[in-house]
Amino acid sequence: MTEIFHHLAYGFGIAFIPINILYAFIGCLVGTLIGILPGIGPAGGMALLIPLTYGKEPASAIILLAGIYYGAMYGGSTTAILLNVPGEAASVVTCLDGYQMARKGLAGPALAISAIGSFIAGTIGIVFLMLIGPPMAQAALKFGPAETFSLMVFGLSTVTSLSGRSLRKGLVSMTLGLMLATVGVDLPTGLTRFTFGIPKLMEGFDVIVVAIGLFAVSEILTCTEELSVGEYVREKVSRIWLSMKDFLESMGAILRGTFLGFFIGILPGAAHVTASFLSYTLEKKFSKNPEKFGHGEIRGVAAPESANNSAACGALIPLLTLGLPASAVTAVLYGALLMVGVRPSPFLFQKHPDVVWGLIASMYIGNLMLLVLNLPLIGIWVKILSTPPRWLFPIVLAISFIGVYSVNNSPLDLLLATLLGILGYLMRKFDYPLAPVILGLVLGDLMEQALRQTLMISGGSLGIFFRSPIAITLFVSAGIVMVAPKIMYRGKVKPEIES
Amino acid sequence: MRNVDRIGGLIILIFGAGYLLGATSMPSATIGDPLGHKTFPVILGGLMIFLGSSLLVKPGRDTEFSPLKRTFISVILLAGLLGGYGYSLPILGYPLGTFLFLFITSRLIGERSWILGLLLSAGLSLGIFIIFTKILDIPLPLGILKNLTQ
Repeated sequence: MTEIFHHLAYGFGIAFIPINILYAFIGCLVGTLIGILPGIGPAGGMALLIPLTYGKEPASAIILLAGIYYGAMYGGSTTAILLNVPGEAASVVTCLDGYQMARKGLAGPALAISAIGSFIAGTIGIVFLMLIGPPMAQAALKFGPAETFSLMVFGLSTVTSLSGRSLRKGLVSMTLGLMLATVGVDLPTGLTRFTFGIPKLMEGFDVIVVAIGLFAVSEILTCTEELSVGEYVREKVSRIWLSMKDFLESMGAILRGTFLGFFIGILPGAAHVTASFLSYTLEKKFSKNPEKFGHGEIRGVAAPESANNSAACGALIPLLTLGLPASAVTAVLYGALLMVGVRPSPFLFQKHPDVVWGLIASMYIGNLMLLVLNLPLIGIWVKILSTPPRWLFPIVLAISFIGVYSVNNSPLDLLLATLLGILGYLMRKFDYPLAPVILGLVLGDLMEQALRQTLMISGGSLGIFFRSPIAITLFVSAGIVMVAPKIMYRGKVKPEIES
Repeated sequence: MRNVDRIGGLIILIFGAGYLLGATSMPSATIGDPLGHKTFPVILGGLMIFLGSSLLVKPGRDTEFSPLKRTFISVILLAGLLGGYGYSLPILGYPLGTFLFLFITSRLIGERSWILGLLLSAGLSLGIFIIFTKILDIPLPLGILKNLTQ
């Protein structure tokens, strides 16, 4: 135990070197900007800025990149809350309640709880990382393709809480997302699916393009319609700061999100996305008033925001303790480490303690920096909300387009975003939820590949699932998540009927 | 508004059938793995058909539906403008394209002052362009303006 404190002291020694503090700051700042701007996610942003790390000390390079990773987690929620524009896939869930809070004039508390929740989750997550990282990584090794598939199914079960009144409509959205995921080149066979001879489609649909089109563009279209009929209502900001009541109410959500997020983060798959969807679901299921979710419930913002920050910590564990990148972001970190001459492996802690502990220590610092950076900015963001719609709408679209364009420098993506925007508009009209589409798109690929690998190992037999306790547990949990509310609420509370 | 759900269900049903058709008509793979590249899409197609029929046969109980108003025109216009904006970006470049888009759209939604419209559109499009390309290093097309800067 005391050994850990020695290591940490050593780490702080490195983290407090002035140049490293500067890098942490730059990383956090740039990361926040990247997170705020729809389009580039943390993985893309980090990849863009790897050139900045050439010739630097390995520890410094990693501190810079980690700052970006962290900052992006913080930033992605800002546009989600203010404009219903998800900065990246994990922020989609924050849009659900965060944006509703903003429409009610509560943008300030939403942003505040998001920053505070992220800070608490990040801090606790780092502690977990230090204390239980290595043994957890061993446990995560037990996740083979069969277990990963069951995890994805479990992730999909969260569609129930995203579906509002009609589960069937939620399933339709989810299936649409899964279908979108099948478009493109099928890697194992090399055959193209549903590309209709269009070369661009061979790459498949990019999550960010879909998210921006489906959410941001459709939102503006819908609002424009409301505006022209005089139905566009945006309540004046009622308060900028968080009330003690809000904070106390959210504490439970923050802690639950933190714990859940961390463990999901360790597991293979789209860590922080799955974590935020799952924590939103669980928070809703275990709440006394689930019908408030989706209409501006602060816990619906606190839980996923905390979860995605602690998941970011969890996701670092396989990389640091085993040398295995488990997500897109950690894969970029892996590449960056290679470029500065450090090869991640199970012996990383022993061979390059300066990198690992310097990183961990600077994460504490970075977390604090981000909190300090973000809280005062809330006032500024809220001011932005009062821009007249006739300018706000086109500006949001112009910036969204940058986001879309920056993914692949492809004008076709812009067309896709526009079409998806129209689709999203229609879906809203017909009362179909949008979030499950993203859920399906993100998990679809992973799920199918996991299933294929599983069946290759088992030679086509499904029995392999029954031999894995982890898989069985996850399947059963998925079933419970989907069915439980019906049983629990039968005869007690009718699903809400809006008058 | 049960009929709305039925219409939706029908559309979904047809879509699912189309997808299933596409899935089953894909050429077979020479290199095999037990699942294959067709199984997943076939399952999805079937699921969609099932959901669509379910909605068709037994629509939901309380669907809120906002009927399409005559102001649907404004939405179509905006979508069209957006499409044009996207199409023109590689040709006109970001600063010019965005300037036009901001100006036209703000007028469409209600901006009445010509001066304010022109100034804000120009300022914002340039400002955004500079922030993204110079500070964040994200490449944005210059289009026609390329000749001016060369």
